Amino acid sequence: MNRRTFLTTTAVGLVALASGVAQARSISGAVPWEAFAGEPPTPVTPGGWHFFQPREVVLMEAIVDRLIPADDLSPSGRDCGCVVYVDRQLAGSFGEAARLYMKGPFLPGLPTQGYQNSLTPAGRYRAGLAAFDKAVSDTFGGRFETLSPGKQDQALSELETGKLKLSGKVDGKGFFALVLENTMEGFFADPVHGGNRDMASWKMIGFPGARYDYRDWVDQHDKPYPRGPVSILGNIVQAKAG
Amino acid sequence: MKTLLSLALATSALASPATAADLQSFQVEKGHYQAILGDCAACHSKAGGKLYSGGEPLETPFGTLVPPNITPDRETGIGAWTKADFRNTMKNGVGKDGKHLYPAMPYPSYHLMPDEDVDDLWAYLQTVEPVHHAVEANQLPFPFNQRIVMRGWNWLNFEPEPFQPDEKQSAEWNRGAYLVQGPGHCGTCHTPKSALGADESDAALQGATLQGWYAPNITGQKRIGIGDWSKNQIVAYLKTGSNGHAIAAGPMVEAIQDSTSQMKDDDLQAIATYLLSVKADDEDGGGEQPKPLASDDSQMKAGAEIYRTSCAACHGMDGKGAEHLFPALAGSAAVQQDDVSTLIHVILAGAKGPYTKDRPTAPAMPSFAFHLSDEQVADVATYIRNDWGNAAPAVSADAVGDARGAD
Ligand code: HEC
Ligand code: HEC
Ligand code: HEC
Repeated sequence: MNRRTFLTTTAVGLVALASGVAQARSISGAVPWEAFAGEPPTPVTPGGWHFFQPREVVLMEAIVDRLIPADDLSPSGRDCGCVVYVDRQLAGSFGEAARLYMKGPFLPGLPTQGYQNSLTPAGRYRAGLAAFDKAVSDTFGGRFETLSPGKQDQALSELETGKLKLSGKVDGKGFFALVLENTMEGFFADPVHGGNRDMASWKMIGFPGARYDYRDWVDQHDKPYPRGPVSILGNIVQAKAG
Repeated sequence: MKTLLSLALATSALASPATAADLQSFQVEKGHYQAILGDCAACHSKAGGKLYSGGEPLETPFGTLVPPNITPDRETGIGAWTKADFRNTMKNGVGKDGKHLYPAMPYPSYHLMPDEDVDDLWAYLQTVEPVHHAVEANQLPFPFNQRIVMRGWNWLNFEPEPFQPDEKQSAEWNRGAYLVQGPGHCGTCHTPKSALGADESDAALQGATLQGWYAPNITGQKRIGIGDWSKNQIVAYLKTGSNGHAIAAGPMVEAIQDSTSQMKDDDLQAIATYLLSVKADDEDGGGEQPKPLASDDSQMKAGAEIYRTSCAACHGMDGKGAEHLFPALAGSAAVQQDDVSTLIHVILAGAKGPYTKDRPTAPAMPSFAFHLSDEQVADVATYIRNDWGNAAPAVSADAVGDARGAD
């Protein structure tokens, strides 16, 4: 039995339970087992854009390159695939807010109550990027990607603090927070999701990834762990020399 | 005197009805044990199906054969058979109405069974639940589907005769030899087959490949056999599926669950005694001990890293595993065989150990088919064959690709 059928059978079991007819399946003897079982993680489809339009790609790439600039610690956000990560998330269930209650009424809430608007994350990116693009051109006299790094940082800081006003109903502060959060996710999440290319961020912070056996290190105190990270896809990156 | 006699008569009169039934149930009981020794269920039953109502298709070198229904159902089983038909099947491979059976039914081993045991088995088979389930046994392609071919085969390969004890050996040894060669039909899997599908008797028990698994050499040869196992380790393996270091996988799991784990301890001791004696003086165990690959070999380096991330949590960095839970790969015969079928199969498909009364955990090894490439499987297999004192030739990615294609 693979996990998928197990999940469907439990779901059926739960429905049966709810309707008052418990239909437990008793297993005696050995636990069921199947050869070739496994629920492999599905890596994102490489190449192309699934959500972002060409103009949005240009803008996003310029933004993530300021949030995570290339330096001697890591390649830039764009080179690490952060935009690919966000693109695939927005094209999927995250983008359509599949896990949120999205029926009205939509009333302003307290910050502790989290996001309370009717736009899905996909909608927020679509509206937010367009509004930011326009606001930057109007205020800074050029498109975001053409500005100097210093000016770009200024534009982003003003977006973050709410100083830069966006047209329409777009909440600029909230939009910045969303972009920053998703960029960090793309940078640090397992490469299976499209970002963190070559496990660059994990190498940067020395996170060994999906390794699961450290018994030979239990008694080796105050020594850095020397082995490179492993993705849940199983790719192994050798630690840099030294 | 008279009183005594009548007393004796009275007692026997009282006792006799019970004795007849007792005798019969005793015979059924003994017959049941013969069915365990012969592991009839392994082939004639299938998972989820009724006992003896027909098995999973068997791949033979000639094509597919399906073990038929042997419940006492009159139409689809052997309910209309006579005891003589049954004996003829077990001893000569000739079924009812003179039908010549294919030797996938292990009559070339069963013929060593004495008539008494065959009759007990017959008595037992009469008592199992009759199941109406028609099975078309013969699914072989022409010309092998011509049963008449079997007449020629039998003439070439097979001389029905009862087991001949070796007077020079102990009773225990003889019992072991009988069980292994006769009802236990261990050679069906462990003895290489000739082009005609018959056991190669010179190479008895020296290892053979079957359906993606390698049934290793189980002679007393030291390096390639089980000559370095103690008698108790062999008994523990056959009784519980694990001897602490090795845990059975693949087809041996079923042989243990359905058959050897239910054998009497004396019989297991006898089997161990016999196995350890076969080719025990063959010092070098066939050929030279290969040298391990150097640890800076590129496959070894890549394999070591894969091992550390994917295998070490269970099998340990030292390859010693964990007693009764994860088999030791260090020193494992399955790992170092020239034939890498089992090795590749286990890594790709995963495996589940035997479930026995003594060791109910039945630990499982996960499948790595989806997350290791052919090269990676080859590398890690090569690595475990050449660390911790193991030594065996490298495994190629092509061999893995072929195995993957076949599954
Ligand atoms: C390795 C697999 C295997 C095992 C073990 C095995 N059999 Fe069979 N048996 C077969 C196959 C395959 C056939 C069909 C052969 C044919 O049709 O030529 C068969 C045929 C038979 C038949 C003939 C049935 C018929 O309808 O013609 C009988 C009876 C039988 N087996 C009894 C037994 C008994 C009793 C045991 C245990 C002592 C046993 N078998 C163990 C594979 C097996
Ligand atoms: C259905 C095929 C089959 C039959 C029948 C069978 N074996 Fe096995 N046996 C195997 C396979 C396959 C393995 C390898 C298991 C592994 O790799 O863990 C094995 C492994 C073993 C081992 C362990 C060898 C090692 O080096 O790890 C022993 C001992 C053994 N068998 C004894 C027997 C005996 C005794 C019998 C007869 C009573 C028997 N087998 C019948 C298929 C079979
Ligand atoms: C979750 C624990 C676990 C992991 C991880 C694991 N194994 Fe296993 N392995 C087992 C168990 C349990 C068995 C015994 C299965 C059986 O007896 O059927 C086994 C059996 C084996 C065998 C067969 C030994 C024999 O005697 O037949 C080999 C070879 C093997 N593993 C190699 C590997 C390799 C190579 C890896 C990494 C790619 C690996 N294992 C990862 C648990 C594990």
